[in-house]
Amino acid sequence: MVNSYDLIIIGGGPAGLSAAIYGGRAKLKTLIINKGAVGGLVNTTREIVNYPGYGQISGSDLMLDFKKHAERFGVEFLRDIVVSTDFSQEDKVIKTKKGKEFTAKAVIIACGSEPRLLNIPGEKRLQGSGVAYCATCDAEFFEGEDVVVIGSGDQAIEEGMYITKFAKKVTVIVLHDEGILDCNKVSAERAFRKEKMEFIWNSTVEEVLGEESVKGVKIKNLKTGDSSELECQGVFFFVGMVPSTQYLKESGVEMDKRGYIPVNNLMETNLEGVYAVGDNRIKYLRQVVSAAGDGATAAVAAERYIEELNAFKTNIANSYKKVLLVFFNASNTESLEFSSLMEELQREHNEDYKIVKVDLATKKNLAEKYEIKAVPAVIVLDKGKKVKELGCSMDKAKLKAQII
Amino acid sequence: MSLEKLNSSRFEEVIYDNGEPCLVIFSRKSCHVCQGVVPVLEDLQPQFEGKFSFYYVDVEEDKALYQRFSLKGVPQILLFKDGEYQGKLAGKVEEEDVEEKITDVLNS
Repeated sequence: MVNSYDLIIIGGGPAGLSAAIYGGRAKLKTLIINKGAVGGLVNTTREIVNYPGYGQISGSDLMLDFKKHAERFGVEFLRDIVVSTDFSQEDKVIKTKKGKEFTAKAVIIACGSEPRLLNIPGEKRLQGSGVAYCATCDAEFFEGEDVVVIGSGDQAIEEGMYITKFAKKVTVIVLHDEGILDCNKVSAERAFRKEKMEFIWNSTVEEVLGEESVKGVKIKNLKTGDSSELECQGVFFFVGMVPSTQYLKESGVEMDKRGYIPVNNLMETNLEGVYAVGDNRIKYLRQVVSAAGDGATAAVAAERYIEELNAFKTNIANSYKKVLLVFFNASNTESLEFSSLMEELQREHNEDYKIVKVDLATKKNLAEKYEIKAVPAVIVLDKGKKVKELGCSMDKAKLKAQII
Repeated sequence: MSLEKLNSSRFEEVIYDNGEPCLVIFSRKSCHVCQGVVPVLEDLQPQFEGKFSFYYVDVEEDKALYQRFSLKGVPQILLFKDGEYQGKLAGKVEEEDVEEKITDVLNS
């Protein structure tokens, strides 16, 4: 059985939940498909102090508020994994791992990102035995032990400081010259003051050592090329994130080399009715507040898109007159002049047909449906069915002869 | 959660006294990866009804248990049969990985 929705949001982090709140409030039949716990990666953030209106709150509590808000507007939730998509038609098809199939008029991709692996020897094998990616989840297991943190961004330094609550010593391996970290200044200053925190500069980790559990790391100095070993019982990797967009590979959604999705200021992807928000899109600031903004923008854009889509269908399918679809492109002067001429004709023969102008740039699906490749182009529809394509002449008499 | 929770004494009973073929996921509430893996197990549970049992341990409440197995992170799924440890799965695992491991244990 196929379940139909107006709006399907893939992912239930702050971006997806915000989109859902706006979608639900706009009375769109809205579904969130989420693979794990609602809230996503934000659930691991112990303390959020920069979300407006909340002085201090944990990530999971904030996400719970987002979820309740979405539920109040009638949003439905499904815990499942999207395995394939077909965005080629107006009704977009989404299939899930549990064998369910959904259609939606608009889809918002909000599946976020996940920790990047370095894929160095020992990393995968020793996961859960000393190799870790989340301080909230695992720092406690290293009580009184020596821990290495790889990375120097906000997450690495802030999580590293949290680990010092449990560990005997935290050594941060940094790619840059002494004193240079990628994190914010406040965190850097606090980290430099931490007694339990040490730094190894100009270096990277080549291998995680140990058979059954982590015994140490092999470090390479990038300036001298020298390798050395450092004994430790834990290694936390904070080397950035990768977008969770693998399942979109065959979808036609444009992505960059790393899998991030480019969008315009309406959060539109290259496909009509498909939007991307939050951490899986190319963006400057990856925070809850900017994710929420993305979600709101995409949902409003999706709502307008659906409205237009519905209006368009009504105009064509319910029209007792024949409909002339005139395809134009705003940057093509000839097509603009031609559509003006068609409007002029219509004014003279109002009783016979109506004209619907279609911008080729924004209605790609419609152009593809009627195999329109160049502008100007005109097709005649009778009760929604194509009956003929006109020859586009600038001669009014010739045009008229074709229509009547 | 539909998985039965184990504490130290119930753990002894299920794993060693009864020797049940089973898995135990060690997780914590604040771990988002755990929150993703637990539902995977909940979905698999009915498929192995009567043949293989599913349990969980909250590591915040039962430190002694994870220390006993020298675990260094959550989530971790430990598998047992006839009172013997049969191996583990760590981190973000897919349904197929767990299913395969259970089948291996049942056939061993």
